[in-house]
Amino acid sequence: MRIVMLLLCFFATLPTLAAEEILPFADPKQQALFRELTHELRCPKCQNQNIADSNAVVAVDMRKKTYELVQQGQDKTQVIEYMKLRYGDFVHYQPPLQLSTIWLWLLPALLVLGMGLYVLRKNNQQQMLVNDDVSSELDAELQAMIDEVAVKASAGDKPV
Amino acid sequence: MRKLLFFIPFALFIGLSMFLFSGLFSDPRQHGSALVQRQLPQFQLPDLMQPEKRWTADELKGEPYFLNVWGTWCPTCNAELAFLTQLRQQGVRIVGLYYVQPLDAAFGETFDLKALQQDVQQKLAEQGDPYQFNLLDEHRTLIFDLGVSGAPETFLVDADGVIRAHHVGDINPQNWSALAEAYQQLVRK
Repeated sequence: MRIVMLLLCFFATLPTLAAEEILPFADPKQQALFRELTHELRCPKCQNQNIADSNAVVAVDMRKKTYELVQQGQDKTQVIEYMKLRYGDFVHYQPPLQLSTIWLWLLPALLVLGMGLYVLRKNNQQQMLVNDDVSSELDAELQAMIDEVAVKASAGDKPV
Repeated sequence: MRKLLFFIPFALFIGLSMFLFSGLFSDPRQHGSALVQRQLPQFQLPDLMQPEKRWTADELKGEPYFLNVWGTWCPTCNAELAFLTQLRQQGVRIVGLYYVQPLDAAFGETFDLKALQQDVQQKLAEQGDPYQFNLLDEHRTLIFDLGVSGAPETFLVDADGVIRAHHVGDINPQNWSALAEAYQQLVRK
């Protein structure tokens, strides 16, 4: 009885598998390209889903179009350009390098640079402090000890 | 000078807060159209009511008009029909682009033009008919070329067939004024 129930559970999920679209590819390279593109192209209707992930009408249409274009032998940039001409820069997850988007690259770099400079300066300052106060004190103490030994040596207190 | 330096993190914090705060009120559906200031894409689509008649992009030139993407299946489109009809009565030229939803052959759904025509006629009789005519885009080809992500969406096209505005969502008395101004400018030319 248990086995029958288990089998039933297994087969009950089959129809959901069948609902997935099956797209035949002759060339595994094109299949990989299709997979890559549908993961990089963004659904214009839904908030933050790629077109592989979404079943909105526009995402389904975009998948179909991507499939068509890939089958025609178009390469990655060609397909992305095709989509951008219609749905704008929004449609690709990699933003283009423009005056308005330059901050996406500049800001992190500036931040790292600023932090680095800050840390360097802080370090320098601390070293200067060490040199100024503590080390001069230590130097004086050391000098005193050397002097003491020198005095003892000149007094003829030679080691055996 | 040193005291001023202490204000830098505070200023950064205020700046970031203002940036994020403004984000709370921005509409995530509005993300610039790639079509504005470009020629309406070429197409050849049948008239919804007289499928023998085929419309091309060139035939629509001559005077400015609104191209309204809609479908009877879309509640927001139905809600804007009444207001668009008022605009038509004021002399605004509106052309419909009918959005056919995909049909699932696996469920035995097939395209039935007669039933669609009846459905549209009934809807327009109920809510008002703002359209000069309707283009039937069964496979959403023009809709795809226009970068339409859903319905309703409306394009303002000038007399030379150049797209001047792309409006996502319904047109209502609150947001009409901006579009009206752009339209009036095109009419006066």
